[in-house]
Amino acid sequence: MLKMVTKLTALVALAFVMMSSAVMADDRLDASKNLVDEMAKAVKMAIEQDYESDGARIDAVNALLDTYFDFDGITRFSAGRYWKKATDAEKADYSALFRIVLTGLAARQFDQLKGLDYTVTDAVSKGKKLVLVTGIMRDPTGAQADAVVSWRVSTMPNKAPLIIDVEIENISMLITQQQENTAIIRKNGGKFSALNDVLRQTAEGL
Amino acid sequence: MPHQAKHLLKLFYITAIASALGACASLPEDQRSDVRDPYEESNRKIFAFNMAADSYVLEPVADGYRTVAPTAVQRGISNHVDWVSLPSTAVNSTLQGKFENATLAVLHFAVNGLTLGFVDLTADDDQPTREDFGQTLAAANVPEGSYVEVPLLGGHTTRSLSGRVVDFILNPLSALEAGQLGQTVQTAQLPVGAVSARADDFEAINEVKYNSLDPYARARSVYYQKRKGLLEDRLPGEIVESDNDDAFDSFFED
Repeated sequence: MLKMVTKLTALVALAFVMMSSAVMADDRLDASKNLVDEMAKAVKMAIEQDYESDGARIDAVNALLDTYFDFDGITRFSAGRYWKKATDAEKADYSALFRIVLTGLAARQFDQLKGLDYTVTDAVSKGKKLVLVTGIMRDPTGAQADAVVSWRVSTMPNKAPLIIDVEIENISMLITQQQENTAIIRKNGGKFSALNDVLRQTAEGL
Repeated sequence: MPHQAKHLLKLFYITAIASALGACASLPEDQRSDVRDPYEESNRKIFAFNMAADSYVLEPVADGYRTVAPTAVQRGISNHVDWVSLPSTAVNSTLQGKFENATLAVLHFAVNGLTLGFVDLTADDDQPTREDFGQTLAAANVPEGSYVEVPLLGGHTTRSLSGRVVDFILNPLSALEAGQLGQTVQTAQLPVGAVSARADDFEAINEVKYNSLDPYARARSVYYQKRKGLLEDRLPGEIVESDNDDAFDSFFED
């Protein structure tokens, strides 16, 4: 009888754990979908505004980056395995320069996104710390073909979900950036500072 | 130009590239910016040539085409370019045992053939996924080989480049004994296809070309990811396990 009760208790506990993890997974998916949806709306609003200067436009991109994106995660991931080998000064330099280049280029591309609509279509859990939110980018005028755009959202325990990557037609922008950065470092004998030099040069040209 | 001569010219071009590659010095692994790219030094030179050709010819022509040609015309040409590749998809799907995809390719080719592929009459139906001989070789576990930059054709792996040659030979349209008009259409297909593809991806290519820290490395990364998607028969947006997920898994484990 005692064995039976123990088994039943274990079964109920297991069912409870499974149910709560399913509910948690659903919560993560919903939170990630909401985040991407809100971000898409915020980007659309930002694009449609008139800016007095390039600086104001870059400020708007910075605000979007800090609200919806995991910039710290993006920075570390984009440097690849060389991040751990970099000195603190090199890391700080990289982080600052990477932000300038990223926001500068994004601000320049604002006009390309004008008039486009983004609709979230699906979200799938990728392990415990990541959710992939997929959607369609549409041009209401029909001049541009629809494009599938997916967002990787980091869902770390006890932290608000934040976007870490965007994937367009199966091409991850962050992995592309990481491979490009790694190529620059490798080409320069593994020197992290070489990447910072290239970034500095690019930042000056923006 | 007679068909045989055109075939020979193309084969000569490919053989010349293969011989040139053989003659290229391969870099030691620790000096490559990517281990898959042993011919990086010569590849970068060819990439610079390709970028110059793009700047002087393809980009301005594609820009003009985007501005002048109505959207419907651009879509028609893009449809035609896709339609021309369907026989190759049918043959390669059959070779890989993907008979459903082969049947779809044949049906789409037959139905859209009524308009020479300019109008996609089967747009609302299931679409065949593109299959080339490079994918057939991959399905037969032929190793991917090295990354090679080909003049005017861009980045390839040696496996996908070999596949491209076979696809050209297999293409039934190239073998047709057409009249003078037919030959002119066939000859025009390559440059028209190139302009159409450049126009379709105008911003994306310019993004790589003008906004990269290292355009060559970025183009190579994009090529590998795109090719991986094709090899996995992944439709854009289809959520499946991929190497990209592995990269993020190990990042979050650290």
